[in-house]
Amino acid sequence: MTTRRQILKTAVAPMIVPSLVLGQQAGAVAPSDKIVFGGIGIGSRGAYDLSKLLNFAQARFVAICDVRNERREEVKSMVDQKYGDRDCRMYDDQYALLARQDIDAVLIATGDRWHTPLAIIAAQHGKDVYCEKPCSMSMEESWALADAFRRYNRIYQAGCQRRNGGNFELCRELLKSGVLGKLETLYADVGPSVNWPPVPSRDWLAAEELPPRQVLDWDRWLGPAPWRPYHSSYVSGGWRNFYDFHGGGILEWGSHTVDLCQWAADLDDTQPVEYEPVGTNVGPYKVLCKYASGVNLVMRDDGWDGSLKTGSCSFRIEGDQGWVETGDATKIECSDNVKPFLRPTTPASLALSNHIEDLLRSIKTRQQPRASAAAAANSHVVCHAAFIAYQRSKKLTWDTAKREFTNDDTANRMRSRALREPWRV
Amino acid sequence: MPQTTQTAPAPQAAAPPKPKPPEPPPEFQEGDIATMDAAALIRILTDASSPEFQKAKACQRAGELGPREAVPALSALLSHERLNTYARYGLEPIVDPSADDALRAGLSKLKGNLLIGVINSIGKRRDAKAGPVLAKMIYDADAGVARAAAAALGHIGGLSSMKELQAALVKTKGMTRMAVADASLVCAERLLVEGNRDQALALYASLSAPDVPKPARLAAMHGIIREETSTSRPR
Repeated sequence: MTTRRQILKTAVAPMIVPSLVLGQQAGAVAPSDKIVFGGIGIGSRGAYDLSKLLNFAQARFVAICDVRNERREEVKSMVDQKYGDRDCRMYDDQYALLARQDIDAVLIATGDRWHTPLAIIAAQHGKDVYCEKPCSMSMEESWALADAFRRYNRIYQAGCQRRNGGNFELCRELLKSGVLGKLETLYADVGPSVNWPPVPSRDWLAAEELPPRQVLDWDRWLGPAPWRPYHSSYVSGGWRNFYDFHGGGILEWGSHTVDLCQWAADLDDTQPVEYEPVGTNVGPYKVLCKYASGVNLVMRDDGWDGSLKTGSCSFRIEGDQGWVETGDATKIECSDNVKPFLRPTTPASLALSNHIEDLLRSIKTRQQPRASAAAAANSHVVCHAAFIAYQRSKKLTWDTAKREFTNDDTANRMRSRALREPWRV
Repeated sequence: MPQTTQTAPAPQAAAPPKPKPPEPPPEFQEGDIATMDAAALIRILTDASSPEFQKAKACQRAGELGPREAVPALSALLSHERLNTYARYGLEPIVDPSADDALRAGLSKLKGNLLIGVINSIGKRRDAKAGPVLAKMIYDADAGVARAAAAALGHIGGLSSMKELQAALVKTKGMTRMAVADASLVCAERLLVEGNRDQALALYASLSAPDVPKPARLAAMHGIIREETSTSRPR
């Protein structure tokens, strides 16, 4: 006969907190135990994040803020349909949402220009944050972000969900196990430049008639970005083509894969000290980086779903004894000596749910999640440094302690961007 | 030869497909401005007939070059409703103190968001000479100005800012007090960096009053604990 004590012995010490504890599976969670969320700027990507969040019974999404009326309505409809009620409240002012004492955390999935200012404002209101990537528009914003979340002791999870993807985790484990030998080079695939060139346009589009404010608040849509005349293309996603709103292919995809490299190699607290751009703005291009330890980091636009077919957002680790590579296709490619150490992993498509689960666990335990503000700040500074080197078309050297380039004053002036009044970080 | 170990499912879409952008009209193309020297930029900025777009791009380019001689032309645009941000884009990275002088001059000339922008730039540059004016502005009737002034003082830091912020914690209310509390946290961190530990802890302690917004109160407590438990501090 099995005793209660025996059952308890076998039940304790799970490797990870199971999903059931966080309520992803069916089961009642007391209202007082729920983590209450609001959302700001939920578009297509944000709706994907939200769809995963809504699967966790331990989370309750209660409010949406957006400058676009149709987006507010869409998110409310999505949430109300999921919960079977009409309780999701709509706001067009982020301060009104953040003032709600019942909201513990916010999901931020606006355009990039808003990410850092909103996350900092949320921290100042005592909220924990899940924020989509790229998390910052400049080095200065990256540092301000990390400072604010340390200062307020808030939880921040950057939307770098691959840190919680099984195939990516296994590659990291393989490096740590020593089977790859001494780390030599990390490869961060930054997408084909035909989609996102390394340096976006600084032009403006022709002015169009401004929609009524209740349909779209253009002033708030622009937010911290410098003023320019309205054009509907910006609002429908075309903003990514323009420097004032976007950091080009290097920041767009580097925030995915440079971030993976930094995490996999336990380099979350530092940056490379050299950045050498190679190529043209129409590609192919590379940025060759080197850490103080001698480890190389190569950002390349020709590795994306190349001959190995590892899928989008791929990265590769090379040691002196072996190599491993993976991406969104889940499969892992590797050198022969690594093969015996492979094991099945969960699909990369589950990374987002795992990542949100990591956030919920962190909010409960107050331990920082995998893509903390500090980690995200460092990986984004790497991308900004590479972006600046590419714009400067010269090899730049970087002092990690002083946070400055040592061989180019112009590059140093590009570490920050002025924010449109009244916004600041 | 690469070894495939698992069957590959369809690649996961990492981002929405890129919309095809419309072509910018000729008058809104940066063109040669991207490579102009300071003299050419100043000509654009000071020519009354230069289009708004060209001035905007000239400001941004000036911010990258950082020429002292562009300060007068840039500061003349601080009062421009649409180009204020661009003017500060140009001024903020210029190392020369004349950029501080120009921004400080804006404190007495501008109102509303334009004034807030200038205050934000002063805070970013940590211009201590602006401290006395900013200290008064914490009590400005425009709450946005008051909050910006507090934030700037926090960034400037130092003992003078500390005293002003401590006083303002008692005298302000609502969102302005929240901004003052946040600025006090920033100021305390600067005091710690500068070796003024006792003053930093005193500033943290002043944030423990029950009417200080809870997030700042907890952050101050966290700051005290972090400092008191720091393993790097000699005991």
